[in-house]
Amino acid sequence: MWPKISWRLLKHELRRGELTIMAAAVALAVTAVLSLSVFSERLQLGLLDRSSEFLAADRVLRARGAEIPTDWLDRAEQENVAWARRVTFNSMAFTNGEMTLVDVKSVSDGYPLRGHLEVASAPYMDGDRIDSLPQAGEVWVQGSLFQALALDIGSVLEIGDAEFTVTHVLSHQPDSGFNVFADSPTVLIHIDELERTGLIQPGSRVNYNYLFAGDPSDIQRYETWLLPQLDDVTQRWTSIQDGDSPLSAALNRAERFMLLASLLGVVLAATAVAVAAQRYAQRNFDAVAIMKTLGGRTPQITRIFTLHLLLLTGVSIVLGLILGNVLQYGVIWWVSEQLGYALPSGGSGPYVLAVATGLLCALMFSLYPLLRLLKIPPLRVLRRDIVAQGLGKWLHWLIAGSTIFLLMVIYSGSLMLSVALFAGGVVAMLLLLAISRLFIRASRSAGMQAGSSWRLAMAGLQRRAAQNSMQMLSFSIAIMLFLLVLALRNELLDDWQNQLPEDAPNYFVVNVAPHQVAPMQEMFAAESIQATELYPIVPGRLVAINGTMVRDAVTKEERDESEFREGFGRELQLTWQADLPAENRILQGEWFSPGKAGVSVESQVAERINVRVGDELTFRVAADEFTVPITNIREVDWNTMQPNFYMVFSPDLLEGMPATYIASFHLPPERRVELYRLFRDFPQASLIDVEDILTQIRDVIGHVSLAITFVMVLVIFAGALVLVAQVQASLDERRQELVILRTLGARSSLLSRAVSYEFVVLGALAGLIATIAMEVAVYALQTQVFNMQPTFHWRFWLLGPSVGAVIVAALGWSVCYRLLQHQTGALIRRLQ
Amino acid sequence: MALIQVQSVSRNVATSDGELQILSELSFSIDRGEVVAVVGASGSGKSTLLSLLAGLDLPTTGQVVIDNVNLNDLDEEQRAILRGEKIGFIFQSFLLIQSLTALENVMLPAELAGRPNPEKEARELLAKVGLSERLTHYPNQLSGGEQQRVAIARAFIGQPQILFADEPTGNLDSKTGERVEALLFELNREFNTTLVVVTHDDKLAQRCDRILRLDAGQLVEQQHVA
Repeated sequence: MWPKISWRLLKHELRRGELTIMAAAVALAVTAVLSLSVFSERLQLGLLDRSSEFLAADRVLRARGAEIPTDWLDRAEQENVAWARRVTFNSMAFTNGEMTLVDVKSVSDGYPLRGHLEVASAPYMDGDRIDSLPQAGEVWVQGSLFQALALDIGSVLEIGDAEFTVTHVLSHQPDSGFNVFADSPTVLIHIDELERTGLIQPGSRVNYNYLFAGDPSDIQRYETWLLPQLDDVTQRWTSIQDGDSPLSAALNRAERFMLLASLLGVVLAATAVAVAAQRYAQRNFDAVAIMKTLGGRTPQITRIFTLHLLLLTGVSIVLGLILGNVLQYGVIWWVSEQLGYALPSGGSGPYVLAVATGLLCALMFSLYPLLRLLKIPPLRVLRRDIVAQGLGKWLHWLIAGSTIFLLMVIYSGSLMLSVALFAGGVVAMLLLLAISRLFIRASRSAGMQAGSSWRLAMAGLQRRAAQNSMQMLSFSIAIMLFLLVLALRNELLDDWQNQLPEDAPNYFVVNVAPHQVAPMQEMFAAESIQATELYPIVPGRLVAINGTMVRDAVTKEERDESEFREGFGRELQLTWQADLPAENRILQGEWFSPGKAGVSVESQVAERINVRVGDELTFRVAADEFTVPITNIREVDWNTMQPNFYMVFSPDLLEGMPATYIASFHLPPERRVELYRLFRDFPQASLIDVEDILTQIRDVIGHVSLAITFVMVLVIFAGALVLVAQVQASLDERRQELVILRTLGARSSLLSRAVSYEFVVLGALAGLIATIAMEVAVYALQTQVFNMQPTFHWRFWLLGPSVGAVIVAALGWSVCYRLLQHQTGALIRRLQ
Repeated sequence: MALIQVQSVSRNVATSDGELQILSELSFSIDRGEVVAVVGASGSGKSTLLSLLAGLDLPTTGQVVIDNVNLNDLDEEQRAILRGEKIGFIFQSFLLIQSLTALENVMLPAELAGRPNPEKEARELLAKVGLSERLTHYPNQLSGGEQQRVAIARAFIGQPQILFADEPTGNLDSKTGERVEALLFELNREFNTTLVVVTHDDKLAQRCDRILRLDAGQLVEQQHVA
């Protein structure tokens, strides 16, 4: 019999709108989690797809000097992972008696696994996508080589023992990379042609790269199998998130933002559930007392209300799943339209997560109100003010706190992040609560000076001080999270925008001879091209730290490994500067003082090779060795498109050494055709086009911006729901008060104003508190989580209180409006 | 044989000024089928007495025995079962469950007690109180008089041995009050229920067999109505 009663209660209450807020809160939690996780999963897959183009694959295994065992590739096939080979090495290329160093890139069928190649008919022209590779006897050549060797389409190029016909200008290759010091132009041939060149001999310095692509789960499985077998010295496994590229920084930040914002969204939805559940229980106090009076036993009533709650949860979750799916499809359709390609589809994980969140939210947050509800004594039917005894509020806070914490852990998958956020949240809540009380008390004395509507409003605020400070707390939290997400979104977007402004350098010029530095600077000035200064470069090696030799892969001597210190294992590009380069910041020590030799070390490198200011480094440049002290440790912003260096020397040290120069400059895309003319007088200099990379990065950042905006909209919804739930919750008490005031003859216009003023003050105070809290939280997040420069948001100090006042007043007034419209008699009847 | 026996019942509550005695040393009994009015000024302890008689609360000292069962010997659950089997209620503020229809409100006690055919019984009773046309209405769609008639139907559905009515006409205008009163006594006769009415209304009290008058927690008068 009891299931019928549960079902009946649910059916009627749903129809009468009494459970709307509760159902909406649970549904929103499910919707938010579902759409967010599906969307972010799919977007991330899309992002990875796009960014994988930078590798031309999902993962790359780089092996130096030797090929990998073939069964590693067989294994990839078994795991459904596609692979391709790429073998690169430097060699001389000859034509018409001219020669130059080129980067020979030979690739197997299937390359590139991600992204595509583009070819053009003339150097520095826009290219067209091509889905094939050079045929036997063909070579595709980068534009700068045309310049260096005076090539034409159809020219014959000798590489090693083989001759190739130049058939295309290679205008875009996805894996051209960020390393501007890979300064030789690329020539692309098929891997089957490699043997014909006769250039691969034992001991040749050849890089064997293996490109892999496939479903994330397949890749994951393969990775798990493969990684333990790598020697980590000559074999290195890379994915796009590794490394110092601007892209990986953007991706990692975006990921952290999405995680954080969705966590906040879930916490907000959970708060709405908690508020609604409390009201749900309060509204059922009478029903339980009546049932108990009419002979209902506690176990029976427990079953009725538990089932009622479960049914409600079920209905809400289904509703949330439907809504979430619709939303998610809509958004993904829209985003795909915006991006011009379909996002890949994800797995079932988000659905499980969404249902689990809905269940956890609804059941855990209803637990305490339900326990209280079931403890209502039947005597309430005669003594209406009786509520449940013997259930401490601490139990409520304990259950709510642990549920939110559990949600955080499940959602973020990180215990550390959850503990930090949770602890921060608790401290913030206590502070906010204290501030709320203080403000309410202060507002009372201010209100006493004002007219009758204001007096009534302030008296109302004061009378419900305890309830109001809780209410204000949740208003503040909702507004704060909204402001927080908004501020962070703007900061992130601005930050990316600043790093890659429209006029960010899109070309690097390298190999500039010393005598050409002045003419080139003149050319830049004459052609009004924005360029960085020309930095000298001297190739050299770090050989010892404080007298101890460093490990170097090139060193062939058989020596005990433990005698060596960690070094670079490769040649470094050394430079010298009289002044600290732009976008660099000294962390320790001082910049060079004139006449004193020294070296400035980039901070991450200093950490890796474990050196500090005062340590002595020994370098070998050409045949010379010299030792210098570290004068300072320097932080470099690798996200800027300008030449950056690990080691910068004081000017006197390297000045006599054979140097070439490097600079980066911005040339508007429409002036691209002028490149040939501009650099005709500098035949030895090489140009590196990074416009493609910039475009790709901007494209990826476009994705991320969309995602972030979507998350923000959801957080706004969740916040609004909290506000509505909170206002609704205070309705019953207000009803009683309005009846009394109406009965005493207060005009409805006076009451209406009083209600509005009360909510205006509540909202404005909540907005102000929220702004303060937001400022602190953004500071903490910027400095601790996002590695950004902290900023102050003066506009929000106006926005917070006014948004709070307007929204809270509008909500409060619209909910109370209906009360004011009722006849006093009808209201009295409802009270009973 | 008395159906309800009240023996030396006192009820104290703790206040900030110390113990307050609401009822002191009440003793009386009510026979099966008898109709008794409990009257007295506000604060005289009428509602507290009703809560003790119905087992909604327990006396501080003394005992209430219903149908030979001492309520002090029962726990909360057992008292609920006893109420479900033997007792019906009518309240001044009707106390219908707002989210159930008239019919469902009347069915509720029968369903809680697990009796067969609650709907049939409820429809018959609602017909008796003249609300056949209002079965699917919610309480807030009914007038005060109609709500109290639903409450009366609900009170009789278990065919209780005892019916407690707390100011049953207190919230109604005099005309509606009279009609509800008439209905209550009519059904009471039909089901031969023992009726205990707490009231301010002298006219209502005069329709009962006996009047118990309370003053400051003490039984000051027992009057048999001719």
